[in-house]
Amino acid sequence: MLFAYLKRGLLAGGVAGIAYGLFMAAVANPLVGYLEHAQHGHAHSHGPAAESVVAESTTALVSIGGGLLWAVFLGGCFGIGLYLFEPALPGRSTGRRLSLAGSGFLTVSAVPWLVLPPSAPGAEQLLTVTTQFLLYGGLVVLGAAVAASGVAAYNRLVGRHRWLAVAGGIGPILAAAVLLPAVTPTIVRHPELSTELLTAYQAMVVLSQGSIWLCIATTFGWLQRRTRHESTATDPQPAT
Amino acid sequence: MTSQSDTVADRIETTRAEIAPTTALAIFGFGAAITFTLVVLQEPLAHESLHNFRHAAGIVCH
Repeated sequence: MLFAYLKRGLLAGGVAGIAYGLFMAAVANPLVGYLEHAQHGHAHSHGPAAESVVAESTTALVSIGGGLLWAVFLGGCFGIGLYLFEPALPGRSTGRRLSLAGSGFLTVSAVPWLVLPPSAPGAEQLLTVTTQFLLYGGLVVLGAAVAASGVAAYNRLVGRHRWLAVAGGIGPILAAAVLLPAVTPTIVRHPELSTELLTAYQAMVVLSQGSIWLCIATTFGWLQRRTRHESTATDPQPAT
Repeated sequence: MTSQSDTVADRIETTRAEIAPTTALAIFGFGAAITFTLVVLQEPLAHESLHNFRHAAGIVCH
């Protein structure tokens, strides 16, 4: 059973990955390139030596492949996670898939971004890379806890009133979104980018990562319905 | 038919019975390898090649 879910998750991740790869090629690669050149000649936070290691076309191509692999990886995680946690997730089949996708987005991306926001090229990091990774790891754990407490609150309140349960589920997420940026110092600075450009850039990052999860959940559901139709047509009594 | 009444503990139990530890280790290792390459690896060649992806995906890279 787990393998069926894992396979479906990887397939769904592949579909999302193709879409994300196209997005990388059409939007993200040119935008990152533009931001890099727009700030050239000023402070090099990446260092001029590092930029000449690989050709720009190589970076573009490998980044597209990286995007594809990233979505496949998230899809695999989604498949395994859905198999294990399906009984505990709120809603019926679609609701469960969407709440897991939302939890995944919160864990991997959204909650860590509250402290370590997505950095555009030319950003000044105030922490070393090692510290950032440790911090990121801690924030992933925190994100998982936020998502889990939201789900737990929903499940506890759903017997009383549906909208009360929805509010209870969103509560921990809102609390994290308000508290985390307020209590943590700014550790990424973009001295050379205008606020509008930075906001647009970060919105692109947030929306594209959210879209990957949404695409995985939707494609997974479509694959699951299709398999169910096939298995009921050919094999009326599947082994339990 | 997927039964809707089972619990998370049941699912973990089924997985434990179904999947050999070596298989689980292989799946986990594969996932760890992907994460490491895409997110953590600082080796200049790989790092620079994935530069656009890491910025676009909001991964803490440098």
